[in-house]
Amino acid sequence: MSLKPTRSKRMAGLGTSLVLLAGLLTGCAGDSGKETIRFTFSKREAIPYMTQLVADYNSSQDRTEVVLDTSGVDVVSASFVRGNPPDIALANYNMETSRFVQRGALSDLSTTDAASRIREDLQPLMDQYGTYPGRTSALPYSIMASSVIYNKKIFAAHGIGVPKTWSELIAACEALKAAGVTPFYATWKDDWTIGQGWFDYSVGGQVDTIEFFKKLTEQGTEVGAESEVSFRKDFEQPVGKMLELAKNYVNKDAASRGYGDGNLAFAQGNAAMYLQGPWAFSEIAKTAPDLDLGTFPLPVTDDPEDLRVRVNVDLAAWIPEASKHKEAARDFLEYLYRPENIDAYNTSQLGFTPTTDAVRVADPRTEGMAEYYEEGKVYQGPSVLVPRTIPVFNYTQAVVLGADPASTLSTLDADWARLAFRQ
Amino acid sequence: MNKGVSHMSTTTLTKAMKDSGARRKRRVEPIYYLFLLPSLVLFTLAITVPAIIGIFFSFTDSIGIGDWEFNGFTNYIAIFGDPAILQSYLFTFGFSTVTVIAVNVIAFLLAVGLTSRIRMKTALRTVFVIPMVVSGIIIAYVFNFLFSNSLPSAGAAAGIPWLETSLLANPDLAWIAIVTVTAWQAVPGALLIYIAGLVSIPGDVYEAAEIDGAGKLAQLLRITAPLMAGYMVINVILGFKGFLNAYDIIVGLTNGGPGTSTRSIAMTVIAGFNGGDYAYQMANATIFFIIAILISLVQLSVTRGRSTL
Repeated sequence: MSLKPTRSKRMAGLGTSLVLLAGLLTGCAGDSGKETIRFTFSKREAIPYMTQLVADYNSSQDRTEVVLDTSGVDVVSASFVRGNPPDIALANYNMETSRFVQRGALSDLSTTDAASRIREDLQPLMDQYGTYPGRTSALPYSIMASSVIYNKKIFAAHGIGVPKTWSELIAACEALKAAGVTPFYATWKDDWTIGQGWFDYSVGGQVDTIEFFKKLTEQGTEVGAESEVSFRKDFEQPVGKMLELAKNYVNKDAASRGYGDGNLAFAQGNAAMYLQGPWAFSEIAKTAPDLDLGTFPLPVTDDPEDLRVRVNVDLAAWIPEASKHKEAARDFLEYLYRPENIDAYNTSQLGFTPTTDAVRVADPRTEGMAEYYEEGKVYQGPSVLVPRTIPVFNYTQAVVLGADPASTLSTLDADWARLAFRQ
Repeated sequence: MNKGVSHMSTTTLTKAMKDSGARRKRRVEPIYYLFLLPSLVLFTLAITVPAIIGIFFSFTDSIGIGDWEFNGFTNYIAIFGDPAILQSYLFTFGFSTVTVIAVNVIAFLLAVGLTSRIRMKTALRTVFVIPMVVSGIIIAYVFNFLFSNSLPSAGAAAGIPWLETSLLANPDLAWIAIVTVTAWQAVPGALLIYIAGLVSIPGDVYEAAEIDGAGKLAQLLRITAPLMAGYMVINVILGFKGFLNAYDIIVGLTNGGPGTSTRSIAMTVIAGFNGGDYAYQMANATIFFIIAILISLVQLSVTRGRSTL
């Protein structure tokens, strides 16, 4: 008898609170009355910056509420499979994204104002990963250029200028070596550092990668010893140059050093040059914030006209076809591409802006690459143009650790032909 | 009337009881099926269904999303001509064999030591079991540091030239590092099973052997080892199966390198999965699955023979 009222009271209380909670929740959603769009962005270093930009946008207008999603690239792939992709994304543009492009999963952006302001000479870099007929599927947002990072103090101390040709580079290395300075700090333990730096700079510095990969794709299953272009035929000479540097001018313990060790050692001034991208600057600055660093493209021929820098589309913007809020997403896209926003982003991340009206804020560390970028003397690294299922990083690592370059490049040819056979 | 009714009801009752008694013998309580249900549903949804989908897609050219077409056995044909995949099989099986031997020899000797009359037995057992509770990837990173930094500097200090470069950077020797670390993690599990086995051997067998004049070594080889054969088979089976799936420790140590010298089957499958080579690696996984089933069948028949020992 005495229990019953208590229990029913309790139930009533629970019910009331549930109703209240529900009211609270609907109240929240009802209040804003905005169209919500999901914006995927997962470049870790820039998340605080982007969070601020999104907040600014949300408070600047009352039609759209942008929600920043930083859960990462793998989740994005899965969301496409589920048919629930983000409404807009700024993401690294690579072989993986190109799959969405080629299968028509991304909407056309050619009619946006942002698209009309993109530098035309950068389009081949985007198209290199594949296109969808009649569409501009993605727009570049941030271009990262990478080349040789050098310690200006060490160069000055030994009276060495920035080398513009292969012979000058070898002379510089010899001079440094004679003075007891390690010319290059190498980190063979992390295979990607060989692929993106040593391999890409050596090959990209003299092979026209756009033309090469176009022909390679055309040849498909025919790629091999007899084909018009092949890794074996076209890459053997540049890889030979890479090995000449790798064998003679690197730290003795390169084989057991990784990326983290490299940043530390280079920050401590243990070597004159370092083949890394601009992402290493912030890591080096953790140890040596005031280190005077510069950059220059790796010369691999004896013609200074051949000098080019490796670039990658670090961020590109795209709006999936499956998004239900394309108009709102396009509005936010235009906001992202406002000159003040895109310039400020790239300045903060040491990237280059791909728009024609870009105002560049010079940073001494990337200054050495700026003129090449502005003249369009750029290439994308071969290591990122090979589908990831072919372990090209592992192959480059095998080569610097002593594997026969000719037979390794033949393996790469065979892998390419096999992939063409089954896809 | 009254009598008749009661009589009737009694017969029906006994009949009913008989019936239900007979049925109860055959029929299993439905509650048991209820116990099985959650794991059956989960297993079906999380293992069986994806496996069937994966096998299905291994006959297509799918990249994981978008349109696809059937291409018959193209993927399977390509696999048999792919040296990278063949190498990953060779590496994985070689590595598993060596590791399983190393783990069992070490664990067996440790177990014998830890069940004998020594001081601080419990404390020592605890120490030896600790590696089991640490996650593989953490162990791998710690050992990575030891192999890349501590061991080379020790080698340099001691003047041993081949130790001065990291074991992980040597394409011919990196597998030794992987075996070492995997064994370090796997020994405790095998050790516990061996200890359980050793404890279960009755002491009078040894007493009898001692009276007959058998020494400690003879006792170990003639009594302990044969009586432990069943446990050894269990350890070999469990170990071998686990090592075939080697992934986390290799990722943390060499990431398949140097070159492609330490890429395991699981690593090639996952790399293809991430790299848009979905259908091809599903075919690879299917082949691996069939091999695993064959091994299980062989092991099952072997254990059946052993359990009667």
